[in-house]
Amino acid sequence: MTLNTPVIRLLVAKDWQLFQKQLAFYVLAGIVALCFLGLAKPWAFYVGSLMLLIVMVSAACFSISTSLMVERKEQTLAFVMSLPVSPLDFTVSKLAGNALTFAVPFVVLLGGTLAVVLFTPLPDGLFVYALLIFAYLLFAYAVSLAVAMSVESEGWATFAMIGSMVLINPYIMALTQVPDISERVSVDALVWTTPAVAILATLVVLSLAVLGLTGWFHARKPAFY
Amino acid sequence: MTLAFSLSGIAKRYPHFALQDVSLDLPEGQVMGLVGVNGAGKTTLLRLLTGLAAPDSGEVQVLGHRLPEGQVDAKRDIGFASEDMRLYRGQTLRWHMDLVSRIYPGWDEPYADDLVKRFELRPEQVLGGFSHGQRVKALLLLCLARRPRLLLLDEPTTGLDPVARLEVLEALADVLRDESRSVLFSSHNTHDVEQLADSITFLHKGRLVASADKHAFVDSWRRVVCQGALPAGLDAWPEIASARANGSVVEIKARAWNDQLPARLAAQGLQVQRADPMALEDIFVTAVRSGGVA
Repeated sequence: MTLNTPVIRLLVAKDWQLFQKQLAFYVLAGIVALCFLGLAKPWAFYVGSLMLLIVMVSAACFSISTSLMVERKEQTLAFVMSLPVSPLDFTVSKLAGNALTFAVPFVVLLGGTLAVVLFTPLPDGLFVYALLIFAYLLFAYAVSLAVAMSVESEGWATFAMIGSMVLINPYIMALTQVPDISERVSVDALVWTTPAVAILATLVVLSLAVLGLTGWFHARKPAFY
Repeated sequence: MTLAFSLSGIAKRYPHFALQDVSLDLPEGQVMGLVGVNGAGKTTLLRLLTGLAAPDSGEVQVLGHRLPEGQVDAKRDIGFASEDMRLYRGQTLRWHMDLVSRIYPGWDEPYADDLVKRFELRPEQVLGGFSHGQRVKALLLLCLARRPRLLLLDEPTTGLDPVARLEVLEALADVLRDESRSVLFSSHNTHDVEQLADSITFLHKGRLVASADKHAFVDSWRRVVCQGALPAGLDAWPEIASARANGSVVEIKARAWNDQLPARLAAQGLQVQRADPMALEDIFVTAVRSGGVA
């Protein structure tokens, strides 16, 4: 089983070219949100954190829906599949293309958030809390991407995307129920507690496992249909 | 004889449709027209030939590669365009040409430019502004300029206005002058098939109804007008696809016309008045309605 790496690279570059303007917009909106956070005022923190969440969720949904669901709906998928690629090449290109288009705003805004926490009057305890929020977004993105790649139904893909993203609300609520996490948010010190590390590690491992399983599942398909 | 593709004993089942027991060869350099009504199995057959679908049973060989395993190597030499295939609406034709030219080393830029002029396309225009006819031409351009050994076209002229259809057919006719290039194109339009194809294959309800050289095939059919009463059991003759009476006039459509047939009909009390060649469309409709393999 060999990969057609040159064509995979071209398909990833194609996805990047298709979405780069919109992604730049998301990064810009995220930077505006970080500016609000950096003001370190209660109202600005509320506006900034809400805006940051909206931007991250939108970037995740945009990446999946445009590169998979819209491609299927607008029948450009048939064009891609007619190129010299196997189902595995196609899966790898979609996983890599999505990883790239999501990773760019994700990494930029995660880095920006952590920098804002560390270098503004905001309490440093938010550092771990922010990482936990971003880890959940990564997990929700991985689940949404896996479902969108595995089902042809737009309805199920949308349900998985919205469902997993909306669950961030109860997740945040649940985090507030863990004293080792909630009590350290307002402390001006960076403290790694066991529950925080465990949740973080679980979410990262689960995200990678979901993406890995998706790739493995598609690698076994001999044909597209 | 080198084969562009060979299908043997192919079956492919979907929940509401099945392609059954299809065996079909296309010699290199030949043009085959694939005719069938909607849902006959033309698209499924083309998907099998591109490796996009795997057969449930049987073997698919394309350009010397077994599919779907060898689909990447086979698709390097296949140009495939289907009626349900779309290009990226937000990107220009030039962007698509650049993408495809980087994938196919055989991309012929002067030929691509020639096709741009012939099809009167604007390379810098985004595809979202293209008409249906322009989109079809753009897809064909992307297929033809890569100089494929095998061209697979699924309903290339569907939905085109007469002028666009003529332009597309002319471009295809030019391609067909290259004797090493093989073409399979599907259509409901039997006129297109009659114009371009060397051989004809009829598909109906997932089964191969007929596959033969175009001239020999068309020549084997006749519409026979007779005087007399319609004898019972005429439909059961293997040479007869259909027979119906209108008063004392009997119209017979014969799928295997031969010189002995008038005498045999006369022995049944039918006087043959005339035996006319049939148009491909009439042959197709008759073959499909009679349900038998021609």
